[in-house]
Amino acid sequence: MSVLKLDHVSFAYENGSACVLKNLSYEFEKGRMYSIVGRSGAGKTTLLSLLSGLAVPTEGTIYLEDKDIKQIDKYEYRSRYVGVIFQSFNLLPKLTAVENVMLSIDIAGKKSGNKEAHAMELLKEMGLSEDESRRRVLKLSGGQQQRVAIARALSYEPEIILADEPTGNLDRETQWEIMDIFKRLAHEEQKCVILVTHSPEVAKASDEIFELGTGVF
Amino acid sequence: MYILKNAWRSITRSKGRNLLIGIIIFVIAVSSCVALSIQEAAKQAKESSMEQLEITGQITMNRQQMMAGRGSREEMKDALADMEMMSLEEMKEYAQSEYVKSFYYTISASVNGGDDIEAVDVSGTVSDTESSEIAGDVRMQTDAAMPEGGDMGRGRMGEQGDFTITGYSSDEAMLSFLNGGSRVVDGEMFPENDTGYQCIISSELATYNELETGDTITLTNPNNEEESYTFTISGIYESTETSDSAGNMMRNFSAAYDTANQIYTSYENLKDIADTSETSAVVSTDETTGMEMSTALRTQENGTYTFADIEDYEKFKEETDEQLGDYYTVTSNDVSAYEQSLLPLENLSRYAAYFHAVVLIIGGIILVVLNIFNIRERKYEIGVLAAIGMKKGKIGIQFVTELLCVTFLSIFIGAGAGAAVSVPVTNQLLEQQIESSANAREEQIQSFGREMGSMPGGGFKGGEMLDESAQEEKEFGEGSALTVRNYISQVDSATNFRVIVQLILIGILLTIVSGCVAIVFILRYDPLRILSNRD
Repeated sequence: MSVLKLDHVSFAYENGSACVLKNLSYEFEKGRMYSIVGRSGAGKTTLLSLLSGLAVPTEGTIYLEDKDIKQIDKYEYRSRYVGVIFQSFNLLPKLTAVENVMLSIDIAGKKSGNKEAHAMELLKEMGLSEDESRRRVLKLSGGQQQRVAIARALSYEPEIILADEPTGNLDRETQWEIMDIFKRLAHEEQKCVILVTHSPEVAKASDEIFELGTGVF
Repeated sequence: MYILKNAWRSITRSKGRNLLIGIIIFVIAVSSCVALSIQEAAKQAKESSMEQLEITGQITMNRQQMMAGRGSREEMKDALADMEMMSLEEMKEYAQSEYVKSFYYTISASVNGGDDIEAVDVSGTVSDTESSEIAGDVRMQTDAAMPEGGDMGRGRMGEQGDFTITGYSSDEAMLSFLNGGSRVVDGEMFPENDTGYQCIISSELATYNELETGDTITLTNPNNEEESYTFTISGIYESTETSDSAGNMMRNFSAAYDTANQIYTSYENLKDIADTSETSAVVSTDETTGMEMSTALRTQENGTYTFADIEDYEKFKEETDEQLGDYYTVTSNDVSAYEQSLLPLENLSRYAAYFHAVVLIIGGIILVVLNIFNIRERKYEIGVLAAIGMKKGKIGIQFVTELLCVTFLSIFIGAGAGAAVSVPVTNQLLEQQIESSANAREEQIQSFGREMGSMPGGGFKGGEMLDESAQEEKEFGEGSALTVRNYISQVDSATNFRVIVQLILIGILLTIVSGCVAIVFILRYDPLRILSNRD
């Protein structure tokens, strides 16, 4: 059963302008890792924005387990159902790594016992030491920031993980470490992981590839 | 809860930005505190002093009313000639009112000196007769300066003497001695209700005539030189109302107006003399004017009512004015004189209010502009928070909370600093205000060549408002209702709970205004656009 479903979705940034995405239909399932690929300007990030609830389809519907996401409060949708890892991480620079993660837990309204301990555990799983976890994010490397962003996305245990170019700024070794994390999330924790990538290697490592612009899946 | 935590983190980790906002609010808070304190001080000074102020009032003739409706000047003249001062007995009846705290009265007469005493006279080297005639003319011309309560029997007043003798019904009536304007420096004050013909004289008069306590002096009736009265000097007094003071200008016209020539005794003594004089008086008719003349000693009686507070005074006035009819009225110079004493403080309070308004408007605008820049600078943060699911309302609350914390911290510090500087600043500004008033008065005096009749406080001299934190009463002649009071020139404390509450309200107002701007901006922002543009 699909957890996320595109039903004839089209999107244009302005009314009357050309559609960036046109009549897309697709189903994403739990326990699988998807890669959305396509040439620059094909609408990969736009599609991710639609899936993350940051943008609303001009036409068509996106369903979250048979429920139109328009009927769900967009803030609740973003803070509970999907975990988004942005291309430029979008972490809050004034906060430490652990505070960034804890903030997401707070926003999601999770009442877990010790939030700090939970956040530290997640960061540890992502490979950050305690010292690194207590540093302001600007004092961390790109790879470490990416891990913080992933930890933040996972902090409130969403069923869907959306990642925009998660390995774009990373060296090869770190890239595969991150990919291993995504694979584990999909295959072991039954998350639906959707990646936007330019990298054929990353795409190949996915369970399914969704290529935009050609209509080929 | 996390909003508060996040707000606090944001404050502590963006010190520069919040320090800037804090400084602006601190400046607003200090200015507001000083301005509000000045206003509060003026209010408090008025209220508390008004509560403590013992009001005195008199029943006076309403000459304006008496002249109203009279067609010609002759008719007015006749009406004024027919005016009769209310008798002491009648005044005493009104003193029975429940609103009157106490009643005292005085009797005054103009007398000449016998062989053993000569008046201190700077009015010119004229003979007694000439002096008396001049003095009579002057009295007519300077009618406005005379107490309204007095009836010297205009047109029948007889001769003017070189001394003024005043008899007091009680110690309470001797205001000058009560408020410290005069004091006995040798001997003692004659007893209350004395009938032994004791009196006190000024030190100047004593020195001029080489008189001492225990000596006797002879005074005569200016209308009948053969009628004399012997008094024993029980004490010698000194008065701050020296011959040199501006209030003693009348000494240039008649020795009787010179404070050095004021002799004080009991009401009973002078009343006894007046009654005896009246009994033995010879009445004749002036052939030229046809006016009836008497050799009786001319006296003037004044009654003064005291009231516990202004409310009692007003009730008495309301009650008594109904019974008095059109030609008499109850008046009090105390309230208006006191209000005049507050004038510089009230002026300062008004300027402080304008200044405060300007500070609030300019400070508010700066704060709003700064906040707009602040929000624009934090656009990315807003975008991220919204993108990870924080509702814009909550983002707004966080930002307003930050502003509120900074505002209250700054107001707290500002209120402390404001409270510390408000008293010296208020007193400094008040001093300048008083100086300015004094200078304006001096200029007016120079321009007019004399005191302006309508000036607040009567013959008040600009340089005389030096005493601290209270009004000082000055009298122009004992028993006279003409008093002046010094300006309130100092305040002790000004910042109180009410000022603090007002400051807090200002803080909330500033936060709401600038916070609303923040919320409007936050609501307008689209997280996708913010993050896309950054990417």
